[in-house]
Amino acid sequence: MSIVLVGVNHKSAPVELRELLAFSEEACTAGLRTLVDGQIVREGLIVSTCNRVEVLSAIAPEQLNEGADRIIDFLSGSRNVPREFFQQHVYHHTDDEAVRHVFRVASSLDSMVIGEPQVLGQVRRAYSLALEAGTAGRVLNRLVHHAFRVAKRVRSETGIAANAISISYMAVELGRKIFDSLKGRTVMLIGAGEMAELSARHLVNAGAARVLIANRTEETAERLAQEFGGEAIGLNELSDHLAEADIVICSTGAPGYVVTESIAREALEKRRNRPAFFIDISVPRNIEPAVGELPNTFLFDIDDLEAVISSNIREREREAERAELIVNSEIMQFQQALRALDIGPTIGALRQKLQEIAKLELARQRTRLGPLTKEQEAAIEALLVATVNKISHPVLSQLRRSYDASDADTIQAWRDIFGLEE
Amino acid sequence: MRPLLLAVLAAYVVAAIHAVLAFVNKRRSLQQVSDWSMAVGFLLHTAALIADWVIDGHYPLFYLRETLSFLGWTLVATYAVVLYRYRAQALGAFTLPLVTILTFLALLIGSRDNTAVEAGGFSTSWLFPVHTTLLLFAYAAFFVVFSASIMYLLQERALKLKLFGAIFHRLPSLAAVNEIASIAATIGLTLLTLGIVAGMLWSSARDGRLWHNDPKEIFAGLTWLLYLLLLVYRSTARWQGRRAAWIGVAGFALVLCTFFGTRLMGGYHVFG
Repeated sequence: MSIVLVGVNHKSAPVELRELLAFSEEACTAGLRTLVDGQIVREGLIVSTCNRVEVLSAIAPEQLNEGADRIIDFLSGSRNVPREFFQQHVYHHTDDEAVRHVFRVASSLDSMVIGEPQVLGQVRRAYSLALEAGTAGRVLNRLVHHAFRVAKRVRSETGIAANAISISYMAVELGRKIFDSLKGRTVMLIGAGEMAELSARHLVNAGAARVLIANRTEETAERLAQEFGGEAIGLNELSDHLAEADIVICSTGAPGYVVTESIAREALEKRRNRPAFFIDISVPRNIEPAVGELPNTFLFDIDDLEAVISSNIREREREAERAELIVNSEIMQFQQALRALDIGPTIGALRQKLQEIAKLELARQRTRLGPLTKEQEAAIEALLVATVNKISHPVLSQLRRSYDASDADTIQAWRDIFGLEE
Repeated sequence: MRPLLLAVLAAYVVAAIHAVLAFVNKRRSLQQVSDWSMAVGFLLHTAALIADWVIDGHYPLFYLRETLSFLGWTLVATYAVVLYRYRAQALGAFTLPLVTILTFLALLIGSRDNTAVEAGGFSTSWLFPVHTTLLLFAYAAFFVVFSASIMYLLQERALKLKLFGAIFHRLPSLAAVNEIASIAATIGLTLLTLGIVAGMLWSSARDGRLWHNDPKEIFAGLTWLLYLLLLVYRSTARWQGRRAAWIGVAGFALVLCTFFGTRLMGGYHVFG
């Protein structure tokens, strides 16, 4: 059985086209039932997310071309998009390359943002839809489970998901680097922009206990205070409360410095030199750069954060190279497993058939032999088993060789010779 | 017990290499290899020390070779405690190579240094081994202060200058290394105080003098003062963070002078 993958993703096709080809969950199960006909396409699964629409299928090796064609037809027909529209954007992988693609997708190596965690859940969902439709069989079951394993390995053995690559999450990561745990920390928001709010949310989720909000419009401050169970403070009270804050996120639209070096120094003294972390995501900057030079005070402005993020992305890309090695080694393992899966029943059936013939013949001739001792009887049985094994051994070896060479015709020929049913 | 110590060295070499690789590459499997081989090394090392004690008939902390081996053992024990308490695996990349070198030197020196004073006279009092053991553990604690301080300085610099290399992500957080350094300094100072007191008692029982003014004693006194100063200032919040870390580094230079003081300058203390 060959594995074929046909699809489009964010690299091969524009979003307009991906939208057209996308499947809802209902369309997915219904579509799978029409696609998988048991003749050409034996098994099928559809992964449809905002970044990709892919049809994964198991097809008999001699019908590869018809199979791929059928999938394109299916996409065109069921999505009501003419073939010419999308054909040049479609990629098409067979066997090892298809397996590689599935492993890479599940491990988030093919994602727009390398290492993002959602895609694995999406693959999981696609698989359960295929199970629901009854179109995931022996080959795809094994492939998808193997892909889950690869994704797990990649996640735990490489750092592709290790470092933050969004500004809002950066606050948590750097906060942890400075304070170890964020449990019980106090966060102060100066200005309540969307990014500041998101950062605060991440910090609270990571354990921050108290949120102070200073904002020009008091309603916004009150609303956020309610949401986070925090306190709204006036902008003029800022310097009184600054000493309480471990993490300060500043994002006002003010034209000048809201936090000057002198009030930060004062706060630091009140904090008895405990470390403080300032994040300034406003442009123009609202925290005087000299604040960053105070001892035990760490100041990051928007450029600093962007620089860290791009270095983290590079780090993820480096880790992705190591992930590719894991994928390579897993492809080999998967092929071996699949081979054993396929050739196993043939070999088993053949062995059984030959042994049965021997047993039958023995039973037929047994009466002619007269009374025998237990040892003699055992010896005759052993003789038959050994003879059958010796004769069938070269046949089985040949079968395995044909299988290793993906020579389905020879395997079928042997099956025919010995009259083994499918 | 030379063959046993060879096995110890082998285990430490494996542990050190894997600790450094784990530090550079952050692989959990490498860290596990390091942890396990360190555990094996430590058990064998303990056995070797006990065997030495039984066979040679004196506490295995007198000759230079014994001192190096014992110091390695205290360092591993201390690292194991920090690892258990803080999961600060990065410390292994500092400690285990040093331990390996110490064990190697102990093997290299072998029994060639038995030319020193006979151990007999020293082992009569139980105070002498207490004195030396306490001080070696104090040195190990100060090495932890030193390593944690270096980690603090590296990270503080990275955070101030926004230069994040691969190593930055492998180091424990600033708060963690700060706490490790501070606790290790407290423990080290306590052990140093007790060790010095034990030495004074032993010496006064031996020849009636508490203080001999030899270089080792003077350096020990200076070290004691420096760490006391560090802790006092830390607790009053004047020297938090970077300055405390610099003292932790400087203090270790004094510790080294104390340890090697006699070798270089002679005096009442023979060694250890």
